[in-house]
Amino acid sequence: MNDVFLPDIARLADLCDETPDTRTFRLRFRDLGKGKDFHFLPGQFIELSVFGYGEAPFCIASSPTRPEALEMTVRRTGQLTDALHKLGEGDEVGVRGPFGNGFNVEAARGKDLLFVAGGIGLPPLRSLIWNVLDERSRFGQVTVLYGARTPADLVYKRELEEWAKRSDVEFHVTVDSAQPGWTGSVGVVPSLFKKVALHPETSLAYVCGPPIMIKIAVQDLVGLGFKEENIISTLERMMQCGIGKCNHCAIGHHYVCRDGPVFNCGQIKELVD
Amino acid sequence: MAFAIEKNAVSGWLERLLQLGEVIAPTRTPSGDVLFSNIRSAAEVTWDLPNPLHPPKEFVLPQTDPIVQIKRNGKQHEVEAIHDGRRRFLVNTRSCDVKGIAFLTRMHEMEPADASYLRRSNNLTLISVACTTPCPLGFCICTDSGPFLSSSYDAQLTDLGQSYLVEVGSAKGEATVAEGQGLFRKATETEVSQRRELEEKARQSFGDQTCHFASAMRRISTGRVQDPLWQKMSDWCLECGGCNVVCPTCYCFSVKDLGRDGSWIRCRLRDSCQYAAFTLEASGHNPRAQRKYRMKRRFFHKVSAQYYSRDGAVGCVGCGRCVQVCLGATHMPAVVSAIRKGNWHE
Repeated sequence: MNDVFLPDIARLADLCDETPDTRTFRLRFRDLGKGKDFHFLPGQFIELSVFGYGEAPFCIASSPTRPEALEMTVRRTGQLTDALHKLGEGDEVGVRGPFGNGFNVEAARGKDLLFVAGGIGLPPLRSLIWNVLDERSRFGQVTVLYGARTPADLVYKRELEEWAKRSDVEFHVTVDSAQPGWTGSVGVVPSLFKKVALHPETSLAYVCGPPIMIKIAVQDLVGLGFKEENIISTLERMMQCGIGKCNHCAIGHHYVCRDGPVFNCGQIKELVD
Repeated sequence: MAFAIEKNAVSGWLERLLQLGEVIAPTRTPSGDVLFSNIRSAAEVTWDLPNPLHPPKEFVLPQTDPIVQIKRNGKQHEVEAIHDGRRRFLVNTRSCDVKGIAFLTRMHEMEPADASYLRRSNNLTLISVACTTPCPLGFCICTDSGPFLSSSYDAQLTDLGQSYLVEVGSAKGEATVAEGQGLFRKATETEVSQRRELEEKARQSFGDQTCHFASAMRRISTGRVQDPLWQKMSDWCLECGGCNVVCPTCYCFSVKDLGRDGSWIRCRLRDSCQYAAFTLEASGHNPRAQRKYRMKRRFFHKVSAQYYSRDGAVGCVGCGRCVQVCLGATHMPAVVSAIRKGNWHE
């Protein structure tokens, strides 16, 4: 029987500021063996301890195809994340996990993939996007549509440029309100649907972002001919334990931490609280 | 196999148990409250006290439950799981609370099993006393958790006047009776049939305190309780969380580090699903911002067929504690009754 609440120790390796309040933390297990044994799927999450504060769930933003370090992209928004943002390279944190079901990468093989992300909804999809790009030949067309409130709120700016340049990815970005110097699209993420050729029959769509963006994007995709089971999203809920015990993330008798956080839209409809 | 022990021999048995570990029993505090607490001598046990307001879940799942010790040394941290291996005997507990602990144990045994909880429950021996008269607010007869039990206890005592009939329900119970070697004898046929008569008499003395779960379960499980009814009921709820605190089966929790200066204890703290912040996300989004949805959640978790099939029981042991503490009268029997009738009193 395991002590299910006992974290492993990891060290912060690199920090990268994404926006004024959002930072990507790269971490490595202190015990290298633990790092080798840590296998995860895109879409899974960890419980990250900031010692003295407790722990909170964060999706793994890096790809399992790049196992040398784990990355979490975190907005400074409360006590624990504020304390995390004050830590520097070499500082220690705790890790439990991985938890949750994650994206079914095998089921996406051979399919055209449409990624639709808003704001800080990109990190969980980024894990899957890099997984797909690192095994590019196994997948069909790859389209990434991303939007944020302002250009300053876009995360992974260098990677966005890289995706824009790649010939094997169709990438579009938009902002809700432009700032001086912004020459790209202005409008909500679903407004990008008309810019790309969609293939509902052969595609899987991955949608992640604020609840209102998900709602509109899903409505539009269904209107464009996507079946609900081919539209996949990850749900956000308050969580404490990650293992279906604390009840914070329960929806009816389902637990987002254990049965999710990845659900297709047909499943989400069935989740009744 | 049933045993019997003379009442004047029970103290001797408890003194032996005190040599083996902690003995916990209801005691009256100087201020008049009845609480489960550690006793130091058998003389402190008063057998005819009312059931304490706080259930004995404290001894398997403390309000503040230390789970991991964290120590910082320079830049390095060491973490260690906290093991509570104390052997404890819970004496003079009631049938409802035995079933409450059985419910919690089943839940914590589910994968991934919770070692911290199970270490405590494995080391806890439940020595209950069957209820020969129903307590004023109890409805254990509706939840199959009393007044007498046929399972879940380690040892069940029945008061026969001069003696207790002792039924053994587990290996732990057997070992505990064995500790009283020379104090127990085999129960007579008469004593066994006396126990049966007392159980029947106790069952017949339940009055109006009933709780019709079946009909409420059908409606709750199929989403047939309309929003306006939840709204009406929740208008009476004051969100105090008292029902969660005193409920023998409530176990929802949060995790927090307590301590300072590089030495912390990570604790599991019992939480309440009736508080708005229970589901508040960092983004500000709250799927249960409205009180009616929080109340709906509480009763779905306790009464739905979905949870019944997972837990093998409703999340209620009929102890009546929520009836005692609820300021708004939105306790279990009242809500179940309103759901069954499709109407809340105004």
